[in-house]
Amino acid sequence: MKETEFIIPVGPQHPALKEPEKFLIKVDGEYVVDADVRMGYNHRGIEKAMESRTYLQGLYLVERICGICSCAHTTCYTQCIEEAMGLEIPERAKYIRVITAELERIHSHLLWLGIAAHEVGFDTLFFYIWRDREVVMDLLELISGNRVHYAMPTIGGVRRDIPPEKVNEIKKGCNVLEKRTKYYKELILNEKTIHNRGDGVGVLTPKEAVALCTVGPVARASGINTDVRADDPYLVYDEIPFNVITYDGCDVTSRILVRVDEVLESINIVRYCLDHMPDGPIRKVVSPLMRVPEAEVVSLVEAPRGELIHYTRSNGGMKPYRHKVRAPTLGNILAVCEMLKGGYIADVPIVIAGIDPCLCCADRIAFVDVNTDKRWVWTDEQLRRYGVKWYQQNS
Amino acid sequence: MVSTELIIKIGQILVFPGFLFLIFYALFAEWVDRKFFARLQNRIGPLHTGWKGILQPLADLIKLLAKEDITPEAADSVVFATVPIILFAIPLTVMFMVPIIGPKAYISFEGDLIVILFLFTLTVLSVFMAGWGSLNRFGTVGGLRTSLQMLSYEIPMGVAAVGPAILAKSLSLSGIVAWQGRSMSLFLENPTEFSLALGIAKASVLALGFGIFTICMLAELEKVPFDIPEAETEIVGGWQVEYSGKKLALLRLGGDIKLVAASALMTSLFLGGPLGPWPIPPALWFLLKTILCVMIISNLRALFARYRIDQMINWMWKNLVPLSLLYILAIELMAVLM
Repeated sequence: MKETEFIIPVGPQHPALKEPEKFLIKVDGEYVVDADVRMGYNHRGIEKAMESRTYLQGLYLVERICGICSCAHTTCYTQCIEEAMGLEIPERAKYIRVITAELERIHSHLLWLGIAAHEVGFDTLFFYIWRDREVVMDLLELISGNRVHYAMPTIGGVRRDIPPEKVNEIKKGCNVLEKRTKYYKELILNEKTIHNRGDGVGVLTPKEAVALCTVGPVARASGINTDVRADDPYLVYDEIPFNVITYDGCDVTSRILVRVDEVLESINIVRYCLDHMPDGPIRKVVSPLMRVPEAEVVSLVEAPRGELIHYTRSNGGMKPYRHKVRAPTLGNILAVCEMLKGGYIADVPIVIAGIDPCLCCADRIAFVDVNTDKRWVWTDEQLRRYGVKWYQQNS
Repeated sequence: MVSTELIIKIGQILVFPGFLFLIFYALFAEWVDRKFFARLQNRIGPLHTGWKGILQPLADLIKLLAKEDITPEAADSVVFATVPIILFAIPLTVMFMVPIIGPKAYISFEGDLIVILFLFTLTVLSVFMAGWGSLNRFGTVGGLRTSLQMLSYEIPMGVAAVGPAILAKSLSLSGIVAWQGRSMSLFLENPTEFSLALGIAKASVLALGFGIFTICMLAELEKVPFDIPEAETEIVGGWQVEYSGKKLALLRLGGDIKLVAASALMTSLFLGGPLGPWPIPPALWFLLKTILCVMIISNLRALFARYRIDQMINWMWKNLVPLSLLYILAIELMAVLM
């Protein structure tokens, strides 16, 4: 380390981070020389807890992995279980799931846009966007009864129907959202101070984006056409016409624009679904104590932040033998270190925020001994014992 | 024997327009800034303490005074403790050189404008010392940024402030204010076409100076888009990061008085200070004009995103410095014409 360099810790607690995570930023004056990431401050042992719960109880646990993309997690989980059980859900339920998921994407992207504005010190835009985000929050409350954990998808279908009178209200809300989002797009394209802070900042070339396995809007902002909804359609996405938004700026501005355009695209998807929703039942009733036949299933969903993977393995019992979650943030987090290098300290918050990190989704724990390349996983109890012992020896 | 005059003088220093008035006026200005800023952002702003939250800044101050005061072990304790006092004292000193209750300030001498500009530079140095002395990494970066920022806005600020002084042929604030009043009444007595044209020309050149000075004051006050030294989301409050309790309270109060001092300077240099066309008390004119300036500053900070330090320096040297040189050229021409 040169004499002029020093390390600035960003996190585990930092105003730019909404969740605990630690970035070690090595700086020389205002320049960032190197960056390193430490994860695991938010580990809650959800995967382990799943193993001691029935499939239906697991649904509620899965929903609570993340407060923002809760619908993406439940959709992915239910898809997984239904596939294992060989259960075909009613067509109307599929449409309702898509509507909830897209409304959730709108809410998540608007939330992120506000945060991005806050990170570059543009608080006025932050407050305006969050005010308009209330519209979509109200719509979600209207159809599900909840603002945050919608609990719409359930094993076998959805929990609530969308009656015709609500359809009109959703359409009205969509009009407001479309108008406001178009205004923000105009503003973002024309406001010079945003371009000052976004153009050429946090560059991730398409080559790096592929090599570092980025997913979702981050990859699409680097010009990579990847979207689970189009590549491997689930639910009814193969029937819905929509565009995969890509920008090739590879920088923060592109990441902002990708998300703004995706909001507009989602609004159109919601409208299409409302118009083309078939009548019929909304769920197939399954027993809460059902057994899932022996199976091994992987399910993919395009969460607001990117590709979300749920893997479940059943050995024919009432509880999963193993359930694994790979959240999109885990795919994107390595790219952050690459984006940070060569930038300024002032760019650190917006670059970290640029991937829309959701650490409560991402934190899983496994150990790797760097010297011997040995890998192992500990249970909570083992980890606790190790911790107690370590402190006894070292204090 | 204590003469009445002495009592009045002491009263002026301690009460009006001295310490007590200035402190409460500064808190009021903070409230105006916060409330107006909040309304611009579609928020409500302070609401619960007093009428529409008018006492909120005072409540914040009292709360901070009661909080625990921590000095980091590694910090230079002398520097760490002195800086808040300096940052509180300097803007107060400046306020005594600004005419408030009449065309003449409490302390007024030929060249006090230079002293004021020097005092403003001194605040920046103290901020740098605060960041450096607290020995925090964020504080160090914040302190560095403050001094870097000063290097870029100080020249346009000085040039903009000197413009009216050249026209008034006086380097004292009171002299400048008196000249503004004089030329106004001269024009009113003898409104010819030539004097009207000259007046419009002068006003438009000085409006340019006002713009430049306002931008520099945004940087001096560390407001968006130039809040780079404290940038909450980047360096967690920058140079202020280690301050708490009484010291932070003093820093915040000092910041409020600085806001008032900046708007008072804008008022006296360009808006005629406590003088006005209608016969209402001069102090009221002064209050109205400074509140207007505070609102201009709040409005500007609601409009932009934060600059990065390199962009800010670039922008200042490439745009604002040439502009201010052009402005001083126009002023010189005007002075020759007159």
